[in-house]
Amino acid sequence: MSGETLTGLVVRPAPRLRLAPVLRVLAPIASILALWYLAIWFSGLPAFVIPRPERVVATLIEDRSFITVHLIATLEAAGLGLTFANLAGIGLAVLFDVLPWSRPALLPAAITLRNMPYVALVTVLMLAFGDTLGSKVTVVALAGFFPVLVNTMEGLRAADPVMLDRMRILNASWARTFWSVRLPYAFPHILSAQEIAASGAIIVAISAEWMISSTGLGYIINRAMQTYRGDQVYAVALLATFLSFLIYTLVHQIGRRLDWRARGSDRV
Amino acid sequence: MAAAISIRGISRRFGDHLALCPVDLEIASGAFVAFIGPSGCGKTTLLRIVADLEAPSTGTVMIGADTAADARRQRKLGLVSQRPAVLPWMSAEADVRFTQRVAGRAGFRPLDLLRDFGLAPHAHKRPAALSGGMLQRVNIASAIAHDPEVLLMDEPFSALDEMKREELGAWFAAELASRPKTVLFVTHHIDEAALLADRLVVFSPGPGRVMEVIEVAAPRPRGADFRQDPRFLAATARARALLFGHGLAA
Repeated sequence: MSGETLTGLVVRPAPRLRLAPVLRVLAPIASILALWYLAIWFSGLPAFVIPRPERVVATLIEDRSFITVHLIATLEAAGLGLTFANLAGIGLAVLFDVLPWSRPALLPAAITLRNMPYVALVTVLMLAFGDTLGSKVTVVALAGFFPVLVNTMEGLRAADPVMLDRMRILNASWARTFWSVRLPYAFPHILSAQEIAASGAIIVAISAEWMISSTGLGYIINRAMQTYRGDQVYAVALLATFLSFLIYTLVHQIGRRLDWRARGSDRV
Repeated sequence: MAAAISIRGISRRFGDHLALCPVDLEIASGAFVAFIGPSGCGKTTLLRIVADLEAPSTGTVMIGADTAADARRQRKLGLVSQRPAVLPWMSAEADVRFTQRVAGRAGFRPLDLLRDFGLAPHAHKRPAALSGGMLQRVNIASAIAHDPEVLLMDEPFSALDEMKREELGAWFAAELASRPKTVLFVTHHIDEAALLADRLVVFSPGPGRVMEVIEVAAPRPRGADFRQDPRFLAATARARALLFGHGLAA
């Protein structure tokens, strides 16, 4: 860009490049708004079924303190659930590795749990523990541990065989090989599981709240539906979508920074 | 330090398939022995048995006064694989230090080792930033960082192009003069074997067995002009006669 001062003949691609990131943000917003207005005009549905976007944003602002309380409840359930999903997923994968016989004993149960409809799980947990944080956290953890388990198992098999030979020739202990070689090789796999599990945790937490709870964003949707507050449903949907997207992006960015595969010749 | 290796009646069977017929081989301390032969002749299997990475079906391997397993447990062995066994997230220097940390043996000073290997300017670089030849030097540096008595090498230069292979072979022969080791060197490259080794153990496949041991009685390291030496020509001619009369025709 310094060439600009020398002569007017220099080709200047800079303005187009600067516009690109702005467009990347504006274009999806514009297309979503356009579809939204088109839906309002062509469907002819009443405002409590499909409110105008500006009404939804206004609701988000007007009800912000009410929504914030429930947002925190949802984040708490999702965050704790994700933590336990990771403890269970990584823990089971390591257990299968240390005690190979535990895998045929426990993996079928894990697969069964994964394939069971969450609705049934939520119902049973509701009957057992009622509307508690524990119930919500359990549902989120049960829904989220499987991708973590599968990716960790895959990751623990990803270590380079020649590296494992090197560790064996040096008579390295199992623990040393695990911490210094196999876990780091598994790390990118565990991180990519977080992208699935973290955004899923928000959605599952909201679903569980919608069914059984009197707190959280899912509860707001449920209540708003009964009181014909379509604007609130949309407000929460917008917030939850933004949240899921934000968490996905955040995890993705953290993962990229921590992933050794992305880096070249940095210092030690 | 270097230890003698004694291979006595080693064979390997996978189910009904005999991968390696019984082998007896005495290797003097500090000797450089090349295992040469086509794929499936059992040369890598024998190397891995000496490394205690695989168990033999029959026989014993003694390294100095120890069994192969004891030698491995005492960190007396070093292994160089064809594909570099280096950690992608570690710099060359960190990788060399990693060997010493795991082995619990100080061995060579890492920076001296890297300098002697021509890697001083690259000590801080990770594998992704190194060329194939440099990476193989890091691989060898990491394999001998704990100063093992025996160096086991499985086609260490095969992944390199012909020029790099010759360059690295000559460099390694010279390097070995200042850090003597007993070396077992698996290769399928006849000239490379005759240039580097004191003895060529020629294998044939189906089932894997040792056909003949060819002596190359000339001091090491040998320069490029050794390729015109009658001892080099005799050894390579004999190896070709054995290998092409047998392995490839089958």
